[in-house]
Amino acid sequence: MTTTIVLQQAINGVVFGSLYVLVALGLTLIYGVLVQINFAHADFVTLGAFAAYFFMHLIGAGYILSIGVAFLVGGALGWLINASIFTPLRRRGNELLPLIATIGVSVMMQNLMLTWFGPIPYAFETQYSSQVIRFAGIFVSWQNIIIIAVSSVTIALLYAFMKFTFLGKALRAVSQDRETAGLMGINPNYLIMLTFVIASALAGMAGAMLAPVLVLTPFAGTSVIVKAFAIVIIGGFGNVEGTILAGLIVGLIESYTTQFLDPGLIDIVVFALLLLMLAIKPTGLIAERREENV
Amino acid sequence: MTVTFRDLIAGVAAVGLLAASQATYAQDKTIKIGALFPMSGPGSYFGAQDKQGVELALEQLNKAGVNGYKFVVQYEDSSCAPLPATQAAKRLIEQFKPDVIIGEECSDATLAVMPIVEQSKVPLLNAGSSSIKVTEPGNPWTFRIMPNEVMQGVNLAENAYKRMNARNAVLLFENTNAGIGNAQVFKENFTRLGGKVLAEIGFGRDVNDFTAIATRIAGLGKIDVIPTYTLEGQGLKITQALAQAGITKGGGGDAIQIGTIWLPFGFEQKAGKAALGYIRIVQFDPTDTRDVVKDFITTFKAKYNADPTHLNAHAYDQIMLIADVVKRGGKDPQSIRDGLAATKSYSGVTGSVEFDKTNQNTKMDTVHYMETKPDMSWTSLKWN
Repeated sequence: MTTTIVLQQAINGVVFGSLYVLVALGLTLIYGVLVQINFAHADFVTLGAFAAYFFMHLIGAGYILSIGVAFLVGGALGWLINASIFTPLRRRGNELLPLIATIGVSVMMQNLMLTWFGPIPYAFETQYSSQVIRFAGIFVSWQNIIIIAVSSVTIALLYAFMKFTFLGKALRAVSQDRETAGLMGINPNYLIMLTFVIASALAGMAGAMLAPVLVLTPFAGTSVIVKAFAIVIIGGFGNVEGTILAGLIVGLIESYTTQFLDPGLIDIVVFALLLLMLAIKPTGLIAERREENV
Repeated sequence: MTVTFRDLIAGVAAVGLLAASQATYAQDKTIKIGALFPMSGPGSYFGAQDKQGVELALEQLNKAGVNGYKFVVQYEDSSCAPLPATQAAKRLIEQFKPDVIIGEECSDATLAVMPIVEQSKVPLLNAGSSSIKVTEPGNPWTFRIMPNEVMQGVNLAENAYKRMNARNAVLLFENTNAGIGNAQVFKENFTRLGGKVLAEIGFGRDVNDFTAIATRIAGLGKIDVIPTYTLEGQGLKITQALAQAGITKGGGGDAIQIGTIWLPFGFEQKAGKAALGYIRIVQFDPTDTRDVVKDFITTFKAKYNADPTHLNAHAYDQIMLIADVVKRGGKDPQSIRDGLAATKSYSGVTGSVEFDKTNQNTKMDTVHYMETKPDMSWTSLKWN
């Protein structure tokens, strides 16, 4: 086993881990604020992928710009669905209703996309997919460099937003104790909407970057969402830092499992880690502080 | 409430129309065909293209009918997986009561459906599943017009060793009955001839990142051929990852990807330059000069404004073969089953059909080889 291969698999793992992080961050943000799992998150990823694809192929725009478009489309759709479906259901006071509604939205979106885009896989090629840099036995495509760069910048911006801006602090306050945050003059409904928009925009962006990597069909997002759920749990439900760490760990585990064991064992290794984490440290790698609703 | 004369006339007319339509329905003789196709999930491209072939065949057949019979098809989404396929088959049999069923494409789904059709005594005509288990041991009610994994695998291994002078192979396959079965047949025959298999890499349908797999293959030394058994979506990503890693011809390497009937035409255009040199079996050769092929291509293009794929072709063949059986007297499940079993040298667009005692089509002229050229078009290799 050469150092080159070990290093190459590390690069592969970081690339896919970065994508997992982008998908999982949206899930963890929504859970952090609403204590709700969004089962439709995968479909926002898929829609973002198609938005980028059609923006590139119909308008002839560049790939980088299409990532921005997917970000905007995801955010706009998040606002629309939250305003029209989840918010009215949340007002009824039953926390189960919005949760079930996310499943309904997921099925609806998948079938709408199946009708619009058809079942045949799309080839989402960018000018960067086939441009490969080779150095000392290592290879990395420009597509993968873009994935790492855009993911890193996005994660850094999100982290700065959460840590240093008023809105970010307000979001964290709502995440820790919604009622007390409300008493402090923070409008929880506004922040819930903001959370949905940010999470959906991140999902859309992740879709645009995943599309050239995975198989683009109306079900594309579902292939990564299960891993994203695992990452959110391993990282610590609702914790941004934990999600980033867990995403990168899962990406590396996948690469090294493929290299040293067998790709057919990837899910077994990842979910064994999930079970181990639940048994040893159920709060995840980094526990999110949260007041119990009593 | 008052009933006017106009209401009365309208009512009588409605009843009359209803009665007339019932009478017409009763007089029409129909052969009911149930279609189990994957319409959702990663195999849904099969269903979409199968349906095009079926609809073209129905359009042609129902203009005049066959022996006084018209053909109707009920589609059910069997999702390329055992559970939805069995549910879809039960729905078809209980509600639609078909005379014959066509499908599924994926071996796992077909194998799951086979006991149900046998119990219900409805013939199943399959065109897309390669697992040997479909016909060995099989059952009296299941027929397959596609060459099975052994027919394809033996032929592929011999051509790889003898024509391509390949000595080292790496096997890539999805972890399904068909994927594992095809890979094993290749391995047995390639090693029997003197070839060496350097690695056997199986993966689930949920694997997205093939760069890691390509990296592993890159560390295995000199590789001549990479037999690959996947659905189209993962196939695209594998081909691109192998080229990125510099393993295959498309990426400047020496290895050549080879494969079986799983990928439709158009794969090369989607995969781009990475597909350069890919040699694979297809079930349909558009350069075939038989009239039945030329007519099929012309009518398909006229209807869909696109070139037909092997999936379009074998779905079309399934309906046309059923029509041939009806022409020979088939009219219900039992007589259609018997008619299928008695088929001798039927000439379809994919090739000839003649079933052996296991209901496997024995004709090898359904196996065509094609190679991807530098401009991403392909050339027919005429190896069979």
